[in-house]
Amino acid sequence: MGLSVSTLFNSLTSLVRWGKEKDVRILMLGLDSAGKTTILYRLQIGEVIATVPTIGFNAETVQYKNLKFQAWDLGGQDKIRSYWRCYFENTSAIIYVIDSADHNRLTLSRTELLTMLSEEELRGVPLLVYCNKQDLEGALKPEEISDKLGLAGGEKDRPWSVRGCSAIKGEGLEDGMDWLANAIQNKSS
Amino acid sequence: MYHLLKGFREYMTRKEEFSIVIIGMDGAGKTTLLENIKTTYNPVPGLPPNKITPTVGQNTGRITLPSTILQFIDLGGQSGIRTIWDRYYDGADALAYVVDASDIDRLNECWEVFDNVLASPKILGIPLLLLANKQDDPTSLSVEQIRSSYEEWWQNRLNTLQRSSGSSDQSSRSASLDVMGISALHGNGVRDAVNWLFLRVQNSRARYVIDFAHFLSVSRNI
Repeated sequence: MGLSVSTLFNSLTSLVRWGKEKDVRILMLGLDSAGKTTILYRLQIGEVIATVPTIGFNAETVQYKNLKFQAWDLGGQDKIRSYWRCYFENTSAIIYVIDSADHNRLTLSRTELLTMLSEEELRGVPLLVYCNKQDLEGALKPEEISDKLGLAGGEKDRPWSVRGCSAIKGEGLEDGMDWLANAIQNKSS
Repeated sequence: MYHLLKGFREYMTRKEEFSIVIIGMDGAGKTTLLENIKTTYNPVPGLPPNKITPTVGQNTGRITLPSTILQFIDLGGQSGIRTIWDRYYDGADALAYVVDASDIDRLNECWEVFDNVLASPKILGIPLLLLANKQDDPTSLSVEQIRSSYEEWWQNRLNTLQRSSGSSDQSSRSASLDVMGISALHGNGVRDAVNWLFLRVQNSRARYVIDFAHFLSVSRNI
């Protein structure tokens, strides 16, 4: 009986929370120097700021059109990647940032991504892959990166999109966010 | 007691789920169709057409109909990424192939791609709906014209190949195949198309059960 009351209570409180503002948490992940922090602040204040490698994380509330979300930009250096999983709970979406010009570490980036996606807590969560630094010479196209990531067929439950962008120039970020906002809203309905 | 009732309610309201894969060439309007389906059937509207960019990846959409959930998967159609399509045929209950009926210049290429899809043995038993999109555009070919265009292309191909192998063999198809006209932009015909798919996925599973019953009765006679 005690259990039933608590279940009922939980569903009621979640209803109340629904009525208020919904807590949307987006994780921004990727290898070090992919451009996560630059993208975060580009989205938040619309400017390019000078960044230093993130140790720990940057958490910012970003208002993007009608969507307000908590963006967690986690540091990408190899020693701290293992802490990513501490943040997986209650995640509404993942933005995975790739340095498109870093050919050598694309395989590593892929491995980290696939490892992360296999976590039960992130099942069905929409994934946006930003192929950043498209302004650099030798940058791989989103189609090529998508092919190398090999997500097709294995991730039928979640919507995912691979898009090119340049955080420095501010190109391609909006399209991706529009897509992601739509994916989040449709997922939670 | 609460759990018992909850379990009972879940049992009574349980819905069967079907997966429908949307494919076609780039710019055919696959994502526009998916988002229009979402807007038509769900409380949360899909992405408006002016926000849609070429897809690299997959978009998903779920709609709930009486007794059934349809899960749509829309895949990118650019030439370099069409190779991913066949990885989705296995789990698919139906396939929608979207054609840009206004893009007459690329119609030949479109039929080649379509023929490749048909040639995959995995889809012989899956209902397939060909959608002649962009019917809102006055320059678009009608459903009849699309149908005859494909037949013409098919005849030409037969003549040049002189019935050699390697192409799709329509006679071994066991599932429905039909052509319908839609405007993914304005939503005309979209409900009819969803209804077509809804009926066919139901029937294909029902037929499977009947086949199995038939198999049982035959094996019992032996």
